[in-house]
Amino acid sequence: MARSSPSPVVNHRLYRLVRATVAVLLTGVILAGFLGRIPELDILEQSARNLYFHVPMWFTLMGATIVSAYHSLRYLQCGDRLRDLRAREAAWLGLIFGILGIITGMVWARFTWYEGTGKWWNFDPKQSMAAVLLLIYGAYFVLRDSIEEPDTRGRIAAVYNLFAVVTMPFLLYIIPRQLPSLHPGGEGSPAFSQTDLAPAMRWVFYPSVLGFLGLFWLLYTQRVRLAWIRDQLRDTPDL
Amino acid sequence: MDWLAGTWAVFRKDLRIELRNRYGINTLLLFVLGTLLLVLFAVGPQPLSARVQSALLWIAMLFAASLGLGRSFVAEAEGGTVLLLRLNTRPSMVFVGKLLFNMLLVGGLTLFATGAFLFLLDISVRTPGLLAAALGLGTIGLAVATTLLAALVARAARRGPLLPVLLLPLLVPLLVSGTSATRKAFVGRSWLQAQDELLTLLGFAGATLSAAVILFDYLWEE
Repeated sequence: MARSSPSPVVNHRLYRLVRATVAVLLTGVILAGFLGRIPELDILEQSARNLYFHVPMWFTLMGATIVSAYHSLRYLQCGDRLRDLRAREAAWLGLIFGILGIITGMVWARFTWYEGTGKWWNFDPKQSMAAVLLLIYGAYFVLRDSIEEPDTRGRIAAVYNLFAVVTMPFLLYIIPRQLPSLHPGGEGSPAFSQTDLAPAMRWVFYPSVLGFLGLFWLLYTQRVRLAWIRDQLRDTPDL
Repeated sequence: MDWLAGTWAVFRKDLRIELRNRYGINTLLLFVLGTLLLVLFAVGPQPLSARVQSALLWIAMLFAASLGLGRSFVAEAEGGTVLLLRLNTRPSMVFVGKLLFNMLLVGGLTLFATGAFLFLLDISVRTPGLLAAALGLGTIGLAVATTLLAALVARAARRGPLLPVLLLPLLVPLLVSGTSATRKAFVGRSWLQAQDELLTLLGFAGATLSAAVILFDYLWEE
């Protein structure tokens, strides 16, 4: 098995460019998101601003899941330890963005669906399945901690990650659409039809998606580099 | 070795070992019976709704399988027979052989648990065919996921309660669809009204089986 792990180089100019873009985009999104004008709709009212934060966080989680599964697959093919680090860091960021997404979703649900009941959690299918997804990633990290030897750990964790990814479509797309739900995307309807997004909101929503994906990329590349350095230091303690 | 013959040999080996002391099957049956009785005592004598009944049945089965089937690969590691198997068979033979054996165990468990449950709670099933289909498809999905994760946990150094932690979140789709189909069978809905659940169970069994057969190679080879 090949173990050559060249350092995970990130192009400096690209990194700076993305960092500046993300800073500008997310600052703009926060300002426009809280201060900008939005269409006044019944029930949603001001809570519609959460669209700019909640939805991009979930998109980022999906992206992180795909990146993590891809690197797990590549790790099984070539056994390069860097792939394992990449899969782990992407899964970790997926977990973070998932927690953020679930918190923003809870707040949104509290003030629209459960307004007047005082409930924060009412077992909406999408909400519950999202919580299960986070449990799966939690289990992934517990599994990683249970194995000492790095190569075995990488392989076992990659197998679990890929097996979990196979069951995720059932969790996130199939089951929630069969159950009655208040969440857009329930009962067979797609989440983003033409009527869901007012034209004025697109100008904040799309930059927000780009901003959060860019933020993921920045955190991901830096965490991978840090993890790689830690890995090298553990292999050669006198360095 | 011929693939079918090899698979059959692994299956028969496990079956013979099991028949020698019946440790696995007795643990499973007693566990599921204990769980059902515990739940029924805790709930008391008043009648339960079909929703609660189906949920109790599935939860007892899921926990029994996640605790009882963990031994299938650990036993090979402890007995020192892993190398022998690895030398003489291909990975897919070992996986499918073990899977057949686990399916037999889970199938027996399901029959026993459902029978005891229907008898103790005095439930008359209005659509028995639907119940059988839901439980049968659920058994396949449950056995596949548990077999792969049991192989995975056998490679981990600190085992403990690792298998249920890894397994239960993955089985949530199975639990949701299985519970819903079972409830519909209890209240006497037709097959067509439960087609969503049955298709989901079928898809889950198929997707996990394909993924598990491919992924097992990476767990088994050093």
